[in-house]
Amino acid sequence: MLLRASSDAVGAEVDLSAAVEDAADGGVEEGAVLTAFAEAVVRATNDLEAARARALETLGPEKFVEAAATVGIFNGLVRVADSTGIPSDTMMLERTADVRGDLGFNRWSGAKSSGVAEAPA
Amino acid sequence: MSFPDGRFPVPVREDMATALRRSWADIGRPGTWWTGPERVAIAALARAERVQRNEPPWSRDRGEPNEPLPEKAVEAARRIGADPAHLDREWANGVIAEIGDSHYVELASVVVTTVAADAFCEAMGIDHEPLPEAEAGEPTCERPDGMGDIGAWVPVQVIDWKRANVARALSLVPEGVRTFFRMVVAMYSGAATDFEKMVWDHRPLARPQVELLAARVSALNQCFY
Repeated sequence: MLLRASSDAVGAEVDLSAAVEDAADGGVEEGAVLTAFAEAVVRATNDLEAARARALETLGPEKFVEAAATVGIFNGLVRVADSTGIPSDTMMLERTADVRGDLGFNRWSGAKSSGVAEAPA
Repeated sequence: MSFPDGRFPVPVREDMATALRRSWADIGRPGTWWTGPERVAIAALARAERVQRNEPPWSRDRGEPNEPLPEKAVEAARRIGADPAHLDREWANGVIAEIGDSHYVELASVVVTTVAADAFCEAMGIDHEPLPEAEAGEPTCERPDGMGDIGAWVPVQVIDWKRANVARALSLVPEGVRTFFRMVVAMYSGAATDFEKMVWDHRPLARPQVELLAARVSALNQCFY
């Protein structure tokens, strides 16, 4: 998982549960603002306007645009993977083996494409 | 011109705006297997379904069917657009049996390009970009060599591949790869040499911040990859 690898590279310890918990910062700078923004966009919730305003105020315009771009493009990238059933890369599977089960990833439909599916909870 | 200057409430990097404009225009052009009107219809279906993503599929407003597309293509555009977490091989096989693997992959490329641009607009707080005008012309119908089976639902490039699998997921339709991954480079990864670095200096956000967003969006979509 690139979140862990990029945090390791700067000597930071990341809490990967931030990937699956609401408004968690994961130990990443401004993390809670970023995840709340992503959640509001993906879920199209009523607090999107407030989450966007908070992101813009906290991050400033340049970083805000990058955050919006990341949220946008990953909504496309997940569909590339899930519409083609592309298997995960071997290195990624190895590096996430210790956390996937706990975080629930192995119960998602796409896990079948990588041969690591667990029955849904 | 799509995504004109002044469209955004805060300045957007020129390379990002250019990528959005070019990929948006691509949607309206004849593709490899679908015509321009068919590609715009695919984009419209995906958009209309996705904006209702918080409603269960059976209660979404779909209007009267008038798309110039096979029934399975209509279904695929809607499901990839709005319900990506619930796709499986059996379903994809059923669609591919009716429309063909190349048509399916190109359809997916149009949907993902549309969804990425729409989600970006939602994040920025602006209306969705109007869909492009469909251009006349015939699809090229060119199937690339070097495709093979790596366990995906569709054939992908298998010769001399050293990058992430997701980057070859659409390789059965190279034009679709160019259209979508032009946006990926501008909106996320940067050049290949930048992407390989774990510490980024080519983006205003630090890489862990970008990857936290990526991980959260992926998890919200229940994307295993």
